[in-house]
Amino acid sequence: MSEQASATIREMILSLLRARGVESVGETEPLFSSGLLDSIAATDVLMALESEHGVDLADEDFDILQIDTLQGLETFLSARKAA
Amino acid sequence: MASFNSADGFFRSVVQHADRAFYCDAAREVSYGEMGAVVQRLAGYLSQNGRPRRIGILATRSFEAYAGILAAGFAGAAYVPINLKWPEERIVTLLGLMELDALVADVQGAALLTPAVLAAAPDLVVIADTAVEVAPRSGQTIVRLGAIDTVPLAEPVPVGPDELAYIIFTSGTTGLPKGVMISAGSLANYLAESRSWTNLTPEDRLAETCDVTFDLTVHNLFLCVEAGASLHILSALEMMAPGRFVRARAITVWMSVPTLIAMMRRNGSLKPGIFPSLRLSIFCGEPLPVAAAEAWAAATPNGVVENIYGPTEGTVICMRQRLTNPPVATESRGILAIGKPYDSMEIAIFDSAQNPVADGMPGEIALSGPQLAIGYLGQPDQTADRFRMIRGKRWYLTGDLGMRDEKGTFHHLGRTDNQVKVKGNRIELEEVEAHLRRAAETDVVAVVAWPVIDGSAQGLVGFCVSAFSGEAIGKRLLSSLPRYMVPEPIEVLEDLPVNINGKVDRRALFQRLEDRMKAAAEARSAVAIKAGAAE
Repeated sequence: MSEQASATIREMILSLLRARGVESVGETEPLFSSGLLDSIAATDVLMALESEHGVDLADEDFDILQIDTLQGLETFLSARKAA
Repeated sequence: MASFNSADGFFRSVVQHADRAFYCDAAREVSYGEMGAVVQRLAGYLSQNGRPRRIGILATRSFEAYAGILAAGFAGAAYVPINLKWPEERIVTLLGLMELDALVADVQGAALLTPAVLAAAPDLVVIADTAVEVAPRSGQTIVRLGAIDTVPLAEPVPVGPDELAYIIFTSGTTGLPKGVMISAGSLANYLAESRSWTNLTPEDRLAETCDVTFDLTVHNLFLCVEAGASLHILSALEMMAPGRFVRARAITVWMSVPTLIAMMRRNGSLKPGIFPSLRLSIFCGEPLPVAAAEAWAAATPNGVVENIYGPTEGTVICMRQRLTNPPVATESRGILAIGKPYDSMEIAIFDSAQNPVADGMPGEIALSGPQLAIGYLGQPDQTADRFRMIRGKRWYLTGDLGMRDEKGTFHHLGRTDNQVKVKGNRIELEEVEAHLRRAAETDVVAVVAWPVIDGSAQGLVGFCVSAFSGEAIGKRLLSSLPRYMVPEPIEVLEDLPVNINGKVDRRALFQRLEDRMKAAAEARSAVAIKAGAAE
């Protein structure tokens, strides 16, 4: 299961939020499209997904909107694990 | 008399293409007819005390942003986008200069309406239906866009060519951004010139990659609506991996900063043939490396690639160069040339006394013609410095270093000053330095655009002599500058290198960063070789 994988990404997102003065976030609350996190933070998350979780950013059909919520990330990472 | 109302083209499409899609984002699709109804009601509301002059747009990449811009135009007012990335202090200061009649805010914009911002905001504020509850200050009305039931304005009000169409802010050397004021006549000239080569039809599907604070959105929006085409808004997140967006929506016209090509090439997603739907791709805002242009062209086998050039002060752009085979390149920089001027614009290369230089010689790029801005909002000195009467003609001095070759093609060679582009954002290093001085409580500061990849700066690095830590200074800066303008890291040093004039030597600092990176790369490869040998 991807519990551990999603835990590290989750911790990363929470620390990015803390650095921007946000203490908590809901599971389904948009992270990026809400403006809570900016594109600089998105770059960090994408790099972590690529280097630590083997996400292939070279896939031209990669749906980045999946990473907009903690729940979306969770689903995305567990689906990858299952595949 | 002909009217120059910027919403005329939109209104024609509302009548002719009512059922066609206009505004599309991840959540909704709005037809011309639907948008027309919203815009006409909002325009009526904004006109309740007479014709408004300026409407602030505290919104971007949203339905409310576009409804606000079009309604402002419809009612005969100029629109003034406010950057959502500006910290509160900056929003308050600039609201004080804008003299707005009303403000339109989307969900993210409404979240920025703190008591201090509301105090500086106009009496009339329109917010998104789903925005947070905002309590007005005394004398202020805050209404939700969907709750407006004013009598709709029947048609766009007549606008003269010299009246203001929009004000777009760009970085200024003094520590505050400058508001570039563009007239309705300049905008009309721009659209006439640009429609002749973009040839949009109602079948076109345009991708909007920029915030409305960036004037590339002027090009997309006004050409799109007059053609009855559809505008597809990428969220900032979708910009990080745009492949799926372009493919799923069968985008036909793309416009963005070249940084995006570099990003896609780095992660390997820009493969040949992946964007068959694109017929026209336009790049602007920073140098376009030939290799990047060719990689994009390979990805769009049914399209052409255009490199366009122009400062905000010349109404979006005034020169363009199509990617050809072989490419018309600026060999010394490995970038595409900036090409030939628009027919109605005159471009010259001046020496430091504003005399034209011979072809092949470098000098400052200067523009003259109907697209020149009125000037900078409330800054007569800065306006006089850059917009000058020279031999009986009004010129804008761009600060860009350029050259015209023997074939009449123009080339961009860099800057004559310290303006940089960081991922397409125009930044005056002096503006950042002014804030760094204040935050670090020192006079000895320098900011360098670094690293530079494919001719495009990726970030800013700050240097200073200070009693505070770099981290603490960075935190302070975030209260007065948007994040993309805050240097990261900020290095606190014993002293800074100076040049022969006793000024801080940015070039030496840049070299120091380059040397350090090279040393780190060498150390890494030495470790890798060792690790390989041990296996």
